[in-house]
Amino acid sequence: MAPGRKGRIARRAAVIAVVVALSLTMEIAGHQATPPAERNEISYTTLHALVPLVFAACAAIAWKIAPTRAPARLMVAFVVLWIPQSIYRVIGEWEWLWPVVRGVDLGWAVIAGIIVLVYPKGFLSDRFDRWVAGIAFVASIVNLLAVLLLASPESAGCAACAPNPYRLAEAPQLFALIDVGYRIVGVGLALAIAARLLVRWVRASVPARTVAFLMPLALFAWATTLAAQAVTYAAATTTDIVLATVSLIAIASIPVSFDAGVAHARNMRARVADLMRITREGADRGLWAESLARTLRDASVRVFWWDEERGRYADAAGVPIDEAEADPRGSHSILPVASPLGAPIALIRHDRVLTDNMRLLDGVSSALRLSVDNGRLRSEVERTLEQVRQSRQRIVEAGVEARRRIERDLHDGAQQHLVSLGMRLRLAANQARDRGIEPLGAEIDATIAMLNDALKELRELAHGIHPSLLSQGGLALAVPELAGRCPVPVAVDVQAEGRLPELIESTAYFVVAEALANVAKHSGATRAWVRARIEDGELVIVVRDNGRGGASIDAGTGMLGIVDRVEALDGTLEVESPPGAGTTLTIRMPLPKASA
Amino acid sequence: MHDSRALRVAIADDALLLREGIAKVLEGGGIDVVASVGTGDELLEVVRGGDIDAAVLDIRMPPSHRDEGIVALETMRASGSTIGVLLLSMYATPEYALRVMGAGSGTGYLLKERVSEPQTLVRAVETVASGGSVVDPEVVEQLVKRTRADDPLSRLTERERSVLELMAQGYSNGGIAQTLFLGLKTVETHVRSILQKLDLEESPEHHRRVLAVLTLLGER
Repeated sequence: MAPGRKGRIARRAAVIAVVVALSLTMEIAGHQATPPAERNEISYTTLHALVPLVFAACAAIAWKIAPTRAPARLMVAFVVLWIPQSIYRVIGEWEWLWPVVRGVDLGWAVIAGIIVLVYPKGFLSDRFDRWVAGIAFVASIVNLLAVLLLASPESAGCAACAPNPYRLAEAPQLFALIDVGYRIVGVGLALAIAARLLVRWVRASVPARTVAFLMPLALFAWATTLAAQAVTYAAATTTDIVLATVSLIAIASIPVSFDAGVAHARNMRARVADLMRITREGADRGLWAESLARTLRDASVRVFWWDEERGRYADAAGVPIDEAEADPRGSHSILPVASPLGAPIALIRHDRVLTDNMRLLDGVSSALRLSVDNGRLRSEVERTLEQVRQSRQRIVEAGVEARRRIERDLHDGAQQHLVSLGMRLRLAANQARDRGIEPLGAEIDATIAMLNDALKELRELAHGIHPSLLSQGGLALAVPELAGRCPVPVAVDVQAEGRLPELIESTAYFVVAEALANVAKHSGATRAWVRARIEDGELVIVVRDNGRGGASIDAGTGMLGIVDRVEALDGTLEVESPPGAGTTLTIRMPLPKASA
Repeated sequence: MHDSRALRVAIADDALLLREGIAKVLEGGGIDVVASVGTGDELLEVVRGGDIDAAVLDIRMPPSHRDEGIVALETMRASGSTIGVLLLSMYATPEYALRVMGAGSGTGYLLKERVSEPQTLVRAVETVASGGSVVDPEVVEQLVKRTRADDPLSRLTERERSVLELMAQGYSNGGIAQTLFLGLKTVETHVRSILQKLDLEESPEHHRRVLAVLTLLGER
C-alpha cells in the first residue's frame, strides 16, 4: 500500500466522521429546539437523521469506486447541507447566522440533483446537464440573496428568531414569491432531469437498462415527492407524514443507486480484464466475439475482422460486413479498432448506448488490439525460433556432412595414393636389389617404413574426423570400438537395433566420444559405463563413471559442445555429478516418427 | 592343394591404381590374376563363372561405400562357394575382422598398406586359398591394447601373449614356431596353456580357433 493512500484513507474517514457527528448533533439539537407541538414524530426524525448517514456511507464507497472524486465530495456536501433545515431554529438567537443558514436550507436538494447529473461518469458531461446545474446554482444564489435581504423571522417561518440584520427592505410578497418560485424551479429542474433519464432508459437497449435502472427510479420518486412538498409548502398546509417519509426514502436511495450503478460498471470493466486473460491465452476469433458479448452484456455485439487479402471486414465465419450494419444511424454503433501503427484490425458493432461507457469500450478495443498484437508477436517469435532451430540443425548437418566428405576424400584420395606409392616403392626396391644395388633397396625400404608411419597417422586422423565404422555399422558397432580406445575400461551396452537417422547417429557418437574423453582426462575414474537404448521414441544415452564428479555444463570441459549438438536435434542433456560420487550424463534425443 | 598350377585370383577394388598394383604384386609372387573388377557384384559374377581359387577385394566399394566387400564374402559363403577371400581395408577395424572370420574358413582381413609388403600379401592369398585364416597384426594389436577391467590377458605370461597374438593373426602352430623360433612342442604347450587360462576349447578346425581368440579379445 502506498503511503499516500493510507493518509488519504485516514483523511477521508476523518471527514466523514466529522460531518456525521455534526449532522447527528444538529439533528438532535434541532429536534430539542423545536417546540413540542411542532415536533415531528420520533420515527420520522429518526428516518430524517438516517438520510445523511446513508449519504456519508455512500460517500466512503464512492471515494473508492467512482471514476472521479466529485460524487463522494458531493455526498459529503449533502450531509453538511442537510443540517440547515433543522438547525436554524436552534441558532435563531444568533442574528448574524440564522439567515445564512436559512438561505441554504434547500442546498441539499441541489446537491442531490447534481449527484444524479454526474452519474455515471463523475462529471457533468453534456450541455443539458451543465445548463440544469447552472440554473440550479443561479436560482440558489437568488434565493440566498432573497433570504438575506428580504426575510423577516416571521416570513422565514422562524418566529422565535432574532431580527435579520441583513434585511434591506420590507417586501413580504416578493420574498414569498422568490421563496416559492425557487422551490418550483427546483421541482421543474428535478422533473426535467428525471424525465430525461427516464427517456434515455426507455430508449436504451437491454445492456443499458441493466446498467442504469435504479437511478431514474430513485430520482423520479424524489422529484415527485419534491413536487408534492413544494405544492404543500406553497399552499402552507402541513406536510403529509406518509409523503414526507416516502420523500426521505427516495432521497436516501439516490447515493445508493449511484454506488450500485458505478459498481456495476466496474464489474463490467473487470470482465474486460477477463477478455485480456482470454487474449493472453490466445483464444480463437469466434470465442473472442462470444466473450465480448458476455462482457458487454450485449448479445447483439458482432465483431468483424479485417481481411488483409480481400481488403474488407468479415466476421469469424468469413461473412463480410453488411453495408446496413455499418450505417451509423441504426441502433448500433461501430467501434473501429486499429493497431498502434494504424493498420485496421477489426470493427466491433455494439449497442449504441455502450458509447456512454467509453472506458469500457476503450478497454475492449485495447484488449482486442493486444490480442491481435500478441498473436502476431507470438507467431513471429515462433516463426523466428523455428527458423533458428532449423538453421542450427542445418549447421550441425553441414558439419557432419563436411566431416564425412573429408574422410571419404582422404580414403579415396590421399590414402589410396599413398598406398599405391608404397607399393611402387616396394617394386622399385625389389628392382634395385635385383640389379644388385642393395644400399638403394635399403634406402627405399626405410622410406616405405616412414610412409607406412605417415599412413597410420593419416588413418587415425581420418578416423577422428569421421569413423567409417559409424557410417558402415551404426552405433552398435562404432560405440564399442570407441569405448575400446578409451584408456579407462568401459562397459558398453548398446541396444539400438537397426540404423538410426545419420544425424542422430553421428551426434550420439560424438557425444559419447566427448564424454569418454572427459572421463579419461578429468574424472580420474577407474571404470566407466556407456548405455544406449531407444525408449519411447527417444534415443537415451547414459555415460557414467566412478570418478571424482563435480562436472558441470559451465565448467568448460567440452560439455557445452555436447549441449549444442544435442539441442540442435531438440534433445536434452542432464548432468548429475555430485563431488566425489562420479558423473552421470543422460542424453535424450527424439527420433523422427518413422524411425521411432 | 593347387601345387600343380598357379593360383587363379580375382581382384575387386574401385580404385584402378590399387587394382593394378595388387595384380602386379600377386603376379610377381607367381599368382595368376584372372579378373580385375570395380564392384562386389561384378566379382560375384566372376566367382559364379567358376575356376577361381581366391578373391582379393576392398571392403568399401560402390555403390554405398560401406561394407560391400564383406557383403560379397557373405553372399559367396551363403551360395556355397569356399574359395579363399582376402578382404582389404584402409582401416584396421576389429569388428570387421570378427565379421570376416565369422563368415567361415578361408578368409582373411588385411590393411591395404600391406600391398607394399609383397610377401605378406602373397602369403595371405595363399593361406586363404588353402582354407587358412589371416588377420592383420594391427587389428590384433588394437584388440590386445583394449583396456578392460579384470582382464583375462593379465593371467598370461609375456611369451603366451606373443603366441596369442600370432594365434589371432591366423598363424598355425607351425607358423608360430617358425616366427618365434620355438620348437613345435613348446608352441603346442603354450597354446594349450593359453586356451586353458582363457577358458577356450581346443577346436579341431583352425579358423574356429582364430575366431574364438578374436571374439575373446573383442569381448574382454
